[in-house]
Amino acid sequence: MSKRKDAIGRRGFLKGAGAAGAALGGTVGTSASAAAQPAQPAQPAAAPLPNMAAETMPPAPDPVQQSSSGGDFMVDVLKMLGVDYVTQTPANTFRGLHEAIINHGGNKAPELLSCTHEEIAVAMAHGYVKIEGKPLAILCQSTVGLQHAAMALYNAYCDQAPVYMILGNSVDASKRLFSFEWSHAAIDPAVIVRDYVKWDDQPGSLQHFAESAMRAWKIAMTPPMGPVLLSLDSEMQENPIPNRAALSVPPLTRVAFPQGDSAAVAETAGLLVKAENPVIVADRLARTQGGMDRLVELAETLQCPVIDAGGRSNFPTRHPLNHSGRSGAVLAQADVILGLELNDFYGTTHMLSDRIERRTRQITKPGARTISISASDLSGKSNDQQFQRFQAVDLAIAADGETTLPALIEEVKRGIDAARKTAFDARRKRLENSYHTMVEQWKSDATLGWDASPITLARLCAELYDQIKTDDWSMVGNGIRVTWPRRLWNFDKTYRWIGSSGGAGVGYNAPASLGAALANRKYGRLSVSIQGDGDLMFCPGTLWTAAHHRIPILYVMHNNRAWHQELMYVQAMCNRHGRGVENAHIGTTIDDPNIDFAMMAKSMGVYAEGPITNPKDLAPALKRALAVVRKGQPALVDVITDPR
Amino acid sequence: MRKMLLALMMMAATPAFAQDVPKGDGVNGKKVYLADGCYQCHGRVGQGGLMTGPAPILAQTKMPYAAFKRQLRNPINDMPPYPETLLSEKELADIYAFLQALPGRRPVKDIPILNNNYN
Repeated sequence: MSKRKDAIGRRGFLKGAGAAGAALGGTVGTSASAAAQPAQPAQPAAAPLPNMAAETMPPAPDPVQQSSSGGDFMVDVLKMLGVDYVTQTPANTFRGLHEAIINHGGNKAPELLSCTHEEIAVAMAHGYVKIEGKPLAILCQSTVGLQHAAMALYNAYCDQAPVYMILGNSVDASKRLFSFEWSHAAIDPAVIVRDYVKWDDQPGSLQHFAESAMRAWKIAMTPPMGPVLLSLDSEMQENPIPNRAALSVPPLTRVAFPQGDSAAVAETAGLLVKAENPVIVADRLARTQGGMDRLVELAETLQCPVIDAGGRSNFPTRHPLNHSGRSGAVLAQADVILGLELNDFYGTTHMLSDRIERRTRQITKPGARTISISASDLSGKSNDQQFQRFQAVDLAIAADGETTLPALIEEVKRGIDAARKTAFDARRKRLENSYHTMVEQWKSDATLGWDASPITLARLCAELYDQIKTDDWSMVGNGIRVTWPRRLWNFDKTYRWIGSSGGAGVGYNAPASLGAALANRKYGRLSVSIQGDGDLMFCPGTLWTAAHHRIPILYVMHNNRAWHQELMYVQAMCNRHGRGVENAHIGTTIDDPNIDFAMMAKSMGVYAEGPITNPKDLAPALKRALAVVRKGQPALVDVITDPR
Repeated sequence: MRKMLLALMMMAATPAFAQDVPKGDGVNGKKVYLADGCYQCHGRVGQGGLMTGPAPILAQTKMPYAAFKRQLRNPINDMPPYPETLLSEKELADIYAFLQALPGRRPVKDIPILNNNYN
């Protein structure tokens, strides 16, 4: 098919939209004349006509070309939102918008990215937004596509990640032609995911779309952040715009995040200053580097330990007040515990035992005061129980943690006198000593099994870090939250780590890592992901997307040839029932045959090495793979590891 | 981590004497350690695993044999129990011997990247 000349005025529309976008609002389009008028139909090819009457009749009113489309308008709105990428698996219900992105929009900001599964498209968006701080958009088929995407949406919801989902849906039943158009249509497509989507809409007009697009963005980006969904009628995407001049796009609303009540913040500061052993636990706190910097400032002002629960990269791992590795010890001594965007306060302050009689036991001192600052208190859905067991904190401040930190720091500083300052300095010395003892213990622990095969996770992580530590690196994935990086690596920026899936839905790690790597690309960062074998087999097509779009990332396989967590669970059941563990591998291992992940990656255009079984081969393999990544391509090193 | 520390503290509190340790066959102990899935949580070389909660380091464990036995027979935490029907007294002793024979820690200074990575 030849490229068409720009004879139907689509560029004129785009220029008008761009001008409107620069002003963040106003009427879209300037070349409205005849935009909604169908172009002249092409003349039929010469052919025998059935009779003279037919020959002399005027052409039927059945236009075959048009000079504008609703999809064009939608693309202009996406440009106004600043959407840089659209991930998608192609589908008939959004072909109108698809075509508008690649032609009317020039396939640039947004650029269309191809994914082999809708779960990949959404998980990429999930990882991307945690680095970039603004969403990309996902195009998805209603019904069949959305059901594929649902798992990844659930993860994003649990992780409070703003994911911007657009469905194609054939609303008008009288316009559906083929059988699949019926099976790809729904009265209310979002219903299957509404429990874990923050807000959704199915606009009835382009004007309605413009307003809902802006509303959806605002809602997604307001804490507690979360996925939003717009279902867009196929006809609305494809057909001419009836009255372009009448369409306007509202300006993008700037959102001020909720800050904690000033009296409650002052009370919190008073408790922290007076406490002998205050502890801060941060989870999904730091969205920006400012969040990490403010948390460091608060901790240093109080000279108190911080436990980074890992929902984001909240606190530098090399900071001597980072006591995440001895959380039990510091929590047992705590008299005031401040949870910042802490997802599981109860689980933090209790020991949970997975025994026949499930037990919990409080590990904090009786009378320890507990305070929560979390935007999660502003959400209210109940069907999915990701909010964890209820913790009766002494004070719950329903507000965004990062936004509240500056006010809290000021109140803390105001409350410190000379006596407290002296006490704080002494506390700092004790904590520094404990920190350094902990680090030396970790290094010694890492030597265990250093030359063993399968390779220990400590060796894997030490070798990997040794080769990336001088780069501007970003660990974009850690499928099962291997603890060694947090012990051996210097996480001193928020982008060093993006947190986990949120919903513990396997299949997140590979595509979310790729989405984060996509965001890191423009900053020149080196993206690495520790990739579980079980997780990769959910969405192996992620590797093809990485190669196709030249997204630099190193996947290092933590290949234990099992869904190992489940293997241990089944083993526990075997022993509980006194039956022995010899059958525990049934249904839990990924062997016989072993998967050749290097071969799989190569088949999709990704540089790959492995399986690596000898630890002495690991460093050279990583070096070669990283050379590929530094040149802008993806790579994978398959490492056969000890299970844990 | 806190579960592991608790488990270790309780074990350390258990009195034990060298004469309580039966002679075990470390070679067979390794076979049993692998066949009975001990390595799934504690690692093939007894390096432990934090991901699974209380899976402490077992290489050259200082845990007294009596505490070791009690932990296997009637674990205090999430560890699966190994009653005598699943693990004989001899096998238990063999595993203990295997753990004592494991290489254990190396001096950190002998592994430059562990130090370099902290510079």
